Amino acid sequence: MAQCTLKPDIDFTRKLTLAGGDSLKKCYQCATCAVACPLAPANAPYPRKEMVWASWGLKDKLTSDVDIWLCHNCGNCSDLCPRGANPADVMSAARNVVYQDLTAPKCVGSLMSKPSGLPILFGIPAILWFIVWWIRSLYNDGNWFPVRPDGHIVFGDIFYGDYTIDPIFMLTFFGALFILCRGAYKLWQSFKPDGAVAVIGEKGCWLCHLWHVLVDEVIFATRFDDCHDGPKTGKVTQTRRVGHTVLVWAFVTLAFVTAVVALGHWGGKIFPIIEITTPLHPMHLVKIIANVGALMLVVGLILLTIRRIAENSETHKSNYYDWYLLGIIWAVALTGIFSQVFRLAEAVGPAFLVYYLHLVFVWMLFAYLPWSKLGHLFYRTVALLYVRMYGRKG
Amino acid sequence: MAEKIGVYFDLANIGGGLDVQNLADEATKKWGDLIAVTKLVPELANAVSEIADDIAKEKLDGVLLCGASPRIDTELYRFPVQVDYVNLREQCVLSYKNPDGSPYIVADTAPKELQELALDYVQMGVAKLQKSNVPDSAAITTTPRILVIGGGWTGLTAAKEAASMGYEVILVEKKGELGGAVVNMPVVSPLGPMWDKKEESNLKFKIQAVTQDPKVTVYLNAVMEKLEGQPGEYVAHIATSEGTKTEAVGTVILATGWVPLDAKYLEPMGLGRSPKVVTAAEFGKMLVSGATIPARVAFVLDTTMAENAWKEKAEALAKEAEEAKPEEAGEATEAPFVKADLESMKHLQYSNAVNSVGMLRLANTVCEKTNDRSQAYILYKNMTVPGILERFYKKMQDRLGVMMTKADVTDIREVGDHMVVSCQNTLLGCDFDLDVDLVVLPTGLVPTTAKEVTVQFGYRQGPEFPDLELFDGFADSNYICFPYETRRTGVYAAGCVRQPLTLDACEVDAKGAVLKAVQCLEAAGHGVAVHPRALDNSYPVFNFVRCTQCKRCTEECPFGALDDDEKGTPKPNPARCRRCGTCFGACPERVISFANYNIDQIGSMIRQVRVPADFKKEGPRILILACENDAYPALDMAGMRRRTWSPFCRVIPVRCLGSVNAIWISDAMSKGFDGVMLLGCKYGDDYQCHFVKGSEICNRRMQNIAETLDRLGVQPERVEQLEVAIDEYDKVPDLIDGFVTRIVALGPNPFKGM
Repeated sequence: MAQCTLKPDIDFTRKLTLAGGDSLKKCYQCATCAVACPLAPANAPYPRKEMVWASWGLKDKLTSDVDIWLCHNCGNCSDLCPRGANPADVMSAARNVVYQDLTAPKCVGSLMSKPSGLPILFGIPAILWFIVWWIRSLYNDGNWFPVRPDGHIVFGDIFYGDYTIDPIFMLTFFGALFILCRGAYKLWQSFKPDGAVAVIGEKGCWLCHLWHVLVDEVIFATRFDDCHDGPKTGKVTQTRRVGHTVLVWAFVTLAFVTAVVALGHWGGKIFPIIEITTPLHPMHLVKIIANVGALMLVVGLILLTIRRIAENSETHKSNYYDWYLLGIIWAVALTGIFSQVFRLAEAVGPAFLVYYLHLVFVWMLFAYLPWSKLGHLFYRTVALLYVRMYGRKG
Repeated sequence: MAEKIGVYFDLANIGGGLDVQNLADEATKKWGDLIAVTKLVPELANAVSEIADDIAKEKLDGVLLCGASPRIDTELYRFPVQVDYVNLREQCVLSYKNPDGSPYIVADTAPKELQELALDYVQMGVAKLQKSNVPDSAAITTTPRILVIGGGWTGLTAAKEAASMGYEVILVEKKGELGGAVVNMPVVSPLGPMWDKKEESNLKFKIQAVTQDPKVTVYLNAVMEKLEGQPGEYVAHIATSEGTKTEAVGTVILATGWVPLDAKYLEPMGLGRSPKVVTAAEFGKMLVSGATIPARVAFVLDTTMAENAWKEKAEALAKEAEEAKPEEAGEATEAPFVKADLESMKHLQYSNAVNSVGMLRLANTVCEKTNDRSQAYILYKNMTVPGILERFYKKMQDRLGVMMTKADVTDIREVGDHMVVSCQNTLLGCDFDLDVDLVVLPTGLVPTTAKEVTVQFGYRQGPEFPDLELFDGFADSNYICFPYETRRTGVYAAGCVRQPLTLDACEVDAKGAVLKAVQCLEAAGHGVAVHPRALDNSYPVFNFVRCTQCKRCTEECPFGALDDDEKGTPKPNPARCRRCGTCFGACPERVISFANYNIDQIGSMIRQVRVPADFKKEGPRILILACENDAYPALDMAGMRRRTWSPFCRVIPVRCLGSVNAIWISDAMSKGFDGVMLLGCKYGDDYQCHFVKGSEICNRRMQNIAETLDRLGVQPERVEQLEVAIDEYDKVPDLIDGFVTRIVALGPNPFKGM
């Protein structure tokens, strides 16, 4: 093996401990974790090596490690660790550090890493949408809470889709997508070892592999079952499959209705036949689907939140990144539902206020996605695709 | 001499269809008036008061209990007269198999061979008791004072402990101040619960406690000049700056500690070549002196580099020595004593555990003192943390800057303003170079006994502990079974002179050694032995009339118990003696005996066995002399687990194979035995012999015995010494049967029937 000069970095280790890996120094390299892991293949085990890299502060090794993404955080390793080093938490911390540093502007990553960054992160969309609200109120004769003559509330009267919501969100969405792609590309490059790699396993085109990854991960989430069926740890581990799947499908559903509405709205300008005008009638099929999606979102959130709270805090700690993501989704879901409720109840003040908050949170969800735990949607997919391309199953 | 014996048969423990009444009748017929009482009791344990009554009423002076092994329920049968046992259970009925090798299915009537085996054992038992006496007392008036040599951590603990037990203490320290190595260690590894924190050594309090104790006399700048006498009444000559002081002491605790391994051994790792390479001891001193702590410190526990370099050097030296082999010197008589320097690279390896703990402590301190700005790398081959100090390990490693990996350190070199440490086979998944500002190497703890004569015994066998090279200079003799024991009864080693130890272990060691020293002191006062024959009140008695001053006993005694006068007449020191009988095994004139264990006694037992003249029809007869410490219990255990062996064997327990006198083998051969098997402990460098040298000496004597047998026209193969460990009960039956097969192949003893 090549002789390299090691650059141990205590600051990187410190960063990991702050990102949720505060137990990493307890590891004594027995490799129980690598044996316990139900996902780690026998010929490429983890997370033993990640633990020692973490301890030595080997940033390059850890951030270019594909295995941290393959971990689905079941916590078997933590349950079985004889030293209480909680490898699952350390793996999670390693991912958090990647979210933080992978893509520019890194100041966002830094703000995303701690609760003290929240006011600024919240403040940006809050001001943005406040300005929109203010400008639009001028169009309504200075009325900040316009009501139609029939008493109905139309959010579009203030947050007019064509000129406000759509351009801002499209810009946000595609901007985030661009940053994510850049991050994914960087990650992919860093996974690649120096020199050539001989692929031993099944070969195939990357699209086939991507399809398989999506089937396994998104459609059926079978990985969680592998996690759940891991070694007996003597502790009850609740499966995350149901909660996670429901949540994912809720997002898919909501993305679908958003797409339908967008298509109906913009497409309707060209083909009037498919035109959809909001607000939709509560019995409109698309609205029904949207509400089912919202309900699924809440169910998934409840399941996942209960699981996190019920988790044994000795061996599994939920870190700030976990709670941020759950929190922001909760905020999006609740403000979304309540803005509809208030709208239908014709409570004009609360309706606009909550809808305003809804926009703020949705913007936060999308704009900060590359630096949040939701980034795993992309980065884990990239990692899974990468290992499949190199003949591994995961 | 027992003259009125009561023989009791424990029916509950015999069984096997034996005709016990017949055994009793045969014994009475043979011994006549000697046997005053014969009883078959349903259960011996319930007959204790009955036996006591018989002793009083019939004025018995010996009791022979036939039933279970003598190792069972011994505490039940403590009578005011001599008690002996006949093992009819484990080594007779339970281990019996038919002569053709088939298993014995218990019948109402025992087969002839089993009945005969039992009868032989009963007759042997009576003979043994008949030839056994109650020993006279060897009690001496003892000096209730304990000499502690060495005033370091262990010595101070021992002195305080002994004083608190009510004994006077003489503490001898070589240097001008107390404290030893701990003087330079204000902060040390844990000394007590919770075993996870660095602690202040608080040495000054420990010293105060000793110096202020009125029972303790401290001699500073003092070394031992001579120790003579025996436990309980030793006389210590102490060389001090004010001349020689003479003190009467009872027993001795050796706590002379260690000296650091010579720097030359670590030179291959850069020590002495660069100021950026230091030993752990030196680094500890640096920390104490408040020197600036570098940003990157490598603690290198893997010393393979130095080991390999020294191995090569040693090979080259050995080759040189081979070539320049000196002329074979003539048989030198009484070569003057020269202390061999036993310091070697091995001491570094033995010190790995102490260094592991020490380096964890130092690495943690580095990070603590710099508030985690410095990084401390620990590169280990074996991170060895003894026992509960695992808790310390956990705590010490849990510090951001402590970075550890198993690694083969292959090179340490100076590059520019820093050092580069090259590592292979690491846990990090790659071989790497590490840039550091300081390299800390482990300290080798070399026991003082490897370098110098610490006690200066005024013994006939010389001033030093024998065979120290077996332990690479550590003052030890039976590492596993008898800690603190040295080869000199009454002198107990504790602390790093015995084994490299952490300070908490040194304290435990000191206390353990004090208990041993006290036990020995009291035992001498009662005239009884210390381990392994604890409380045995017999001792060797010399019939000097026939002594030829050959000095074999003096030389062979594993414990140097015997001194001699100018003419060579042995001078016994009963309190030094551990009652193994090696002296009488050695004596060609058979002038040495114990009251209850002697040449004549075993000889008589051998002669009690009926040896059939017809080898073909009635089988051979094999005598097994089994060491009572390991071999005999192994046979018992084999019996208990229904392992069987040839019914032609007769087992006699002996105190140690060292006590086997050649005359017993002649006795057996002339009686017509076809083979003699000596079953004893493992010997050699990793001996398991309770008396250290017994089985080895026996093995050496085997050569002479073979020559004697050859002269007599008996095949020397008829006598074999076999080794067995106490846990090898499953192997010992095969060992016996193998020997029997070899004897059967040899045919009958030519002396049979003569």
